Amino acid sequence: MSAFPPAREQQRKMEEGRAYSQDGVLSHLEMLEAQAHELALKQEETEQQEEKLARLKARVQELRLRRDELQAKVDLQQKRLLGKEGVVTSSAPDAAQPSDRAVLEWKMKSVQAMLQVFYLTGISGKLTKHGVCFCISTAYEGTYLDSYYLDLLTKPEVRIRRHSVPVFIPLEQLAKKYLQTDIKRFLSVLSDHLNAYVGRRYQADQLQERFSERLEGALQRNSLCNVLVFNYNTSGKNQTFPFSAKLLYGDLCRSLPTEAVVSCTPDAPASLAGRTAAHSDVFRHVALHKAFDSISSPEEGLDRAP
Amino acid sequence: MDETVAEYIRRTVLKIPRDEIKSMLQTWGFLSETQLQTLNFHQTKDNISQDVVQLCEDNSADIKQAAVLDIIYNHIYPNKRIWSVYQMNKTGEETDFFDLTDFKKKFKRRLQSALKNVTINFREYEDNAIWIRIAWGTPYKKPNQYKTSYVVYHSQTPYVFISASVLRSTLPLLCQALVVASNYHDIREMELRSHCLNSLKDIAFKRYSQTFQTYYPRPLQERNVAPENVDLRIIQENRSEKERIQRVNREVFGDGPQPKLEFAQYKLETMFKSNPKMDVLDIKEPFRCLVKFSSPHLLESLKSLAPAGLADAPLSPLLTCIPQKARNYFKIRERKGFFPGSFVSP
Repeated sequence: MSAFPPAREQQRKMEEGRAYSQDGVLSHLEMLEAQAHELALKQEETEQQEEKLARLKARVQELRLRRDELQAKVDLQQKRLLGKEGVVTSSAPDAAQPSDRAVLEWKMKSVQAMLQVFYLTGISGKLTKHGVCFCISTAYEGTYLDSYYLDLLTKPEVRIRRHSVPVFIPLEQLAKKYLQTDIKRFLSVLSDHLNAYVGRRYQADQLQERFSERLEGALQRNSLCNVLVFNYNTSGKNQTFPFSAKLLYGDLCRSLPTEAVVSCTPDAPASLAGRTAAHSDVFRHVALHKAFDSISSPEEGLDRAP
Repeated sequence: MDETVAEYIRRTVLKIPRDEIKSMLQTWGFLSETQLQTLNFHQTKDNISQDVVQLCEDNSADIKQAAVLDIIYNHIYPNKRIWSVYQMNKTGEETDFFDLTDFKKKFKRRLQSALKNVTINFREYEDNAIWIRIAWGTPYKKPNQYKTSYVVYHSQTPYVFISASVLRSTLPLLCQALVVASNYHDIREMELRSHCLNSLKDIAFKRYSQTFQTYYPRPLQERNVAPENVDLRIIQENRSEKERIQRVNREVFGDGPQPKLEFAQYKLETMFKSNPKMDVLDIKEPFRCLVKFSSPHLLESLKSLAPAGLADAPLSPLLTCIPQKARNYFKIRERKGFFPGSFVSP
């Protein structure tokens, strides 16, 4: 099958040639030449195409190889990221970088918030260049009051560099006692002192603010608020102040008095005089402004006092 | 009414600014409201004072009451006097209850046992301060009401603020009475003086603004710092340096206003250091000199030196230690070794 068709075509062409020959041999030759040229062109074309195909195939091969290489790299990177982040849902590889930073920032923020919240515990601190700076925040019955600061040097020995503790708090004595040996104890005792002082002051202020019509003039107090003296009545309607109280706070770490002396003017009715003991008892056990709430029931309600 | 009392009241009224005379007389409470209503406060101060004296005459005022008016005036205008801070010391550790009546009694007894002629007045204020006015006399002379001493004492603190009388000899007696009355053992001057009593209190009681490092964000102070450069074409070449100065300044002085002092005095007793070739002073004697800084508001002006570019950023600790050391009079002596600027107590 392979040999015949050209042979046949040859034959056909020969016959054609014979037919042409009638016109002349030269024209036949011309025709043959043209045919040969055509053939040569075709052959060249196919050859070029084949060459191009081979080149392209090689290129494809090359690109495939490159693709595989990159894929492997990407796979490796993703695997590594997954390993680092733990169980983070796989995200696009180009988004992974900023999310890493965001996580860090978030962590920083939460740690900072924790450190800030620490002041709510009453004692918080921060390392400084020279040592530690402690902040003692005081509160009374859920109300946050003043904060006091202590700047401590730690070398060569623990020493108070600066502070804002009121002068009448026996800071020096406490420091002498505990600062070198037991700093935890030192801070907790100091905090007790400060809280108790602030609590006593708060009660006295509250009393003055809320019950001024039942008090004769201003409260007499001292800096530590550990002695309070005042004259008062129980109704606030009359202008006489039959009771006088002197509260002594013997324990500087407590905000309740250790001693409450209540007396009654001699010209007051006996019914009032009988209540002094009850009043004294209330003062010793209840916060001052609350004590006033309970003893100041209208006229005869004093029996309700605990 | 004693003539000296009348004259004293007249002079005290004359000291008061006209538009405050009424309110001060009300605080005094010696003249009744109806009496005050008869007073014409629009006439000359001289006439007002005459009228006030006349009313006091009717109420037969004595020196005790006149002295109270003087205390009220001094309490409102403490800056008219110069105050000095004294510190008392205790050997024991007990913190006792402070009994005001006991304090007054002891104080009075001490002074009166030494001097027969002395006027002592107490007045308590709401910040737990006790104001004491003392007019001094001699065994043969009546107290001089114009050369008084003033004492401001906050109970249970070791600090006393004294505005001494020009009669200097009375000071030891006054100190003695204070120590006895407040149950302390001795007393010494702290070398801290100013006209501004409240600033002295802030320094002694450590209430002046200090910066402490904490994590707890303090409420931001309202600071009206006007934007310095609105012009975008101007570039701050030394921004970081400026920020450093500001930071250092804040560390040293804090954010708040400074206590008001008018002076800082440094007495130098140091050797003169010069190039040995110059042969200027090769004497082993200390080179004595006195450096005095004065300003209507010394600490505030020191604070603004560095930001204004007039001094290097951390100022000398000699200048910045004033509130910390609670003193504004220093004596500087040579110290063995190379440490410059040592503080030696006098």
